[in-house]
Amino acid sequence: MWGIRGRVVPLAADTAPVRAGSSGAFVGTVWIDGDGTVAAVTRGRRARPAGAHDAQVVDVGSSLVVPGLVDLHNHLAYDTLPLWTEPAQKVPFAHHDSWPRAATYAASTTWPAYAFITAAPQELLAYVETKALVGGTTTIQGSPPMNRPRDGWLVRNVDDESFGTGNRDMVYASVLTATPAALATRANAMRSGSLFVYHCGEGQRGSLVAREYADATAAGCLQSRFVAVHANAVDPVRYADWSHDPGAVAWSPFSNLWLYGQTTDVPALRAAGVTVCLGADWAPSGTKHVLGELKVARIVADHLGWHLTDEDLVRMVTANPGDVLARAWGRQVGRLQAGAVADVVVLHASSSRVDPFRTILRAVEDDVQLVVVDGVPRYATPALADETAMPTPTPVTVGSRAMRVSLTRPDDGTTPLSWDAVVARLEAVRADPRGAITAAQASGAQASGAVSGTASSEPGAEPFLLALDMPTGEGPVGGLPHDLGQVVVPPLQSLVHDADWLASVHGRGFHDGVLDGLGVYYD
Amino acid sequence: MGGTTGTHLDGGQRLQVLDALVTVLSGLYAHLPAKRAAYATDPVQALVLLRRRAADLTDAEFHLAVTGIVLGLRDAHTRYRGPAVLRGHVAVLPFVVEAYGPWADPTFVVTKVDPDAGADGLPDGFEEGVEVVTWNAVPVARAVEVHADRETGGRADARRARALESLTSRPLDFAPPPDELWVDLGYRPRRTGRRGGSTEVREARFDWRVLAPGRAGTAVSARTREALKLAVDPAADAVRRAKRDRYAARRAWLDTSLPDVLAARPLDDRYGYLRLWSFDVADDDAYLDEVTRLLGLLPPCGVVVDLRANPGGLVWAAERLLQLFADPGRTGGPVQPVRFELAATPLTRQMALSPFNRLELEAWSASLQDSVTTGDPYSRPLPLTDPAWCGDRGRAYPGPAVAVVDATTYSSGDLFAAGWVDNRVGPLVTVGQASGGGGANVWTDTQVRDALVGTGVTLPDLPAGIGFTVAVRRAVRSGASDGVPLEDLGVAGIPYDLTRADLLDGNRDLLTFCTGLLDAAGTPPEILPADRGGTS
Repeated sequence: MWGIRGRVVPLAADTAPVRAGSSGAFVGTVWIDGDGTVAAVTRGRRARPAGAHDAQVVDVGSSLVVPGLVDLHNHLAYDTLPLWTEPAQKVPFAHHDSWPRAATYAASTTWPAYAFITAAPQELLAYVETKALVGGTTTIQGSPPMNRPRDGWLVRNVDDESFGTGNRDMVYASVLTATPAALATRANAMRSGSLFVYHCGEGQRGSLVAREYADATAAGCLQSRFVAVHANAVDPVRYADWSHDPGAVAWSPFSNLWLYGQTTDVPALRAAGVTVCLGADWAPSGTKHVLGELKVARIVADHLGWHLTDEDLVRMVTANPGDVLARAWGRQVGRLQAGAVADVVVLHASSSRVDPFRTILRAVEDDVQLVVVDGVPRYATPALADETAMPTPTPVTVGSRAMRVSLTRPDDGTTPLSWDAVVARLEAVRADPRGAITAAQASGAQASGAVSGTASSEPGAEPFLLALDMPTGEGPVGGLPHDLGQVVVPPLQSLVHDADWLASVHGRGFHDGVLDGLGVYYD
Repeated sequence: MGGTTGTHLDGGQRLQVLDALVTVLSGLYAHLPAKRAAYATDPVQALVLLRRRAADLTDAEFHLAVTGIVLGLRDAHTRYRGPAVLRGHVAVLPFVVEAYGPWADPTFVVTKVDPDAGADGLPDGFEEGVEVVTWNAVPVARAVEVHADRETGGRADARRARALESLTSRPLDFAPPPDELWVDLGYRPRRTGRRGGSTEVREARFDWRVLAPGRAGTAVSARTREALKLAVDPAADAVRRAKRDRYAARRAWLDTSLPDVLAARPLDDRYGYLRLWSFDVADDDAYLDEVTRLLGLLPPCGVVVDLRANPGGLVWAAERLLQLFADPGRTGGPVQPVRFELAATPLTRQMALSPFNRLELEAWSASLQDSVTTGDPYSRPLPLTDPAWCGDRGRAYPGPAVAVVDATTYSSGDLFAAGWVDNRVGPLVTVGQASGGGGANVWTDTQVRDALVGTGVTLPDLPAGIGFTVAVRRAVRSGASDGVPLEDLGVAGIPYDLTRADLLDGNRDLLTFCTGLLDAAGTPPEILPADRGGTS
């Protein structure tokens, strides 16, 4: 057992001790058991639970000790890419079937992502999951389909997590439109305890994809284990249809504004009792991680005149998704309480008197000091990495800071992997996508052969394969250009919301300047 | 040579083989409905029945039974590869037999003799041009008939053509070694041939030899995206390579960077001859580049494009090549490629839904799912070669062109022939009834196994290097023959019967016939030589 002492923002389910109007934050310690769960959360500087008398305590002073952030909507395979716009598109897209037909879509998204998943799948995962960690994310949805799904590696993958049971039926996800029959099957799976994360009604309000929500309704999907991603095309009146057994909506305001110029009606959802969670969405139309998306949510709520407190928004990346996931997992993330999964983030706070939720909302990458997943320190300042005895640490420069990330090969989870090797391999693929794709295919090892020199450490084990989850776009049958030399992989995007990225928001997309306000958080 | 394989499979391993084949033939095989109809057989049920007695058989009996069931499909794409004892090898006799004359009364002659036939040399008087009379004491025509019954090929002429070829060359990947240890050949010496009036028949004994023909460095590599776009008869390709290694070209061909698959030479000062031995190339752009270069070296008034015995290869190479000969004024627009469809089965639906197959199969997915309600036995047909790629270079040869195919022109060769006719590129001459009739995109067991990832279906591990190839996507024609399948039917054109001079004197009569067609097609005056009325 070990502990993190600081100003704890537990967001615990038991709210009785929290006085009305209080933030609920207190100086205390989060105790982490060897099995990766929270053994206890104690108040004050001295209290120790039974069995923790000799336990090491890492004191982070006035910094906030927060539940690990949950990103309930992403598409990790694309998260090395820059923001995308279609030059020929002069008005907001109608819905999710509109932009995949854009002329530059496949070349800008599918092709470069294919290069990485084919030629450097392990390095790709290392890069994009580190990017999530940098923003304090400990649980993320949207991992690329893989032939050997893993329980927690770097960041907990919603789609693959089984908590050691090997049960891959805990969570189902679908990016593409499902048939009514498939939805009905999922409805019954949800009745049996599974969660279903479904891209549903993504587009402009009233566009034809609103039918997906109607189909989901007819199929019986409107249950508490249903997570509708976007649902911004849905007439808000229809949210009430879900109020008998409300589930959740994954809200991605940046992506919505970027593509459609409008977003989900969050107040209407909340009025219907639907839990709202945030998702950063993929890099071509999203923020870098949910720490950034929090700020977008603040901007958009203020812009639209919605009454949403900072705590409301923070809960959208902690307790809200944690509660939704617990309906399938039977385990709690997003809250710091005894028995919960020990996913913890430490965020810098200038004093012990700051408003914790405002501080969390305004936190940027430089404020993230320590990220713990499953009780294991995965990302930290060098000092905290040393103090917490981070396993397999490798140096990584994040913005202007030297940090440490705990990296291993994704396919075995034990072999150390250096950040430099990750970047070097991805850059090698960028330098010669055609050669890298061809070589990877020829070797029959769509695994990170460049790192290890072999496709697999186990004789007879199948190569580690990833797949793309987003629409592939218009193109030849087979999806790729005839000449693979036409595959161009753009420069790796930084891990942080840096000046270049912020500049790429201005004057692009269909947000009508609303998202320009992000800059004030990163000045 | 004997029919044993040298590798023992226990009962459990035999079930692994049979279960894998049942899964693939029932769930993926593109021609199953057609084959059931055409040959009144049920290969899946036959495999199920074999499963009940598999453990009781000897190894040789087991492999022969499996081979027989798969061969019964008459599909050179869909083959059973036995244990890997002789993988990559071809059993050969030191000569080649071909036939000429009318279908009902063919004459069989030795057309090539291996110059390295062995230390004992060849029998006195055994040379190119001798007429084959008997084969192991059976009249040769009957021997070919009997052998044809054990061959692939959807039509009788196609089976005969394959049988004739496999009389002297047996690819051991796909069939057991010859039962006979040697062949006793009855032949008439050339100087006293039947047409010379003599009835003297000599006999000689020839032993089988085993060769290991390699693949050219320019061939398609396994586990590339091109390898998923193959339409080829792998057995015929092995035979082609074995012949290539033994029988040096007697004609003066132009130098080429792709001698494994291409050859070209002028016929005279007006016409050229382009030989497309194969489409087995990894880089179709390089292939088109080289053909374009060779065409530029040939006389401009017409070219004969000969695809006889072309076993196929990369679909992209075959279909993109058409544009080099296509006159847009005749074709009426860009060359339209052949389209491919999947059998609509629960397995193909699962495969199309697998995230790991999205780039490869997603385009077929919606129609496969719809087939549950439409009852359509196939998905919608879609091209493997993007139509834009079929017109990205344009015409490279200015004159008319005539293509020649035979019953051993197969697979991508069939696609080329179909494209030639359906896009009205030029006349098509068919030696035999039609081209070989191989209408599918063919995958190996490894590729099938890869494509099953994410479907919840797995293939049993195959023991002893056993494998298979299978027709996965069925080809249907475009243009005037829109929707007509290629399998078994092939592509028919202007019929032509080979002559003795064709076999023994460099296709003399065939080329005369073809240049006659070129004459009839007419050469645009702007490319005629000045002394023939040309304008330039």
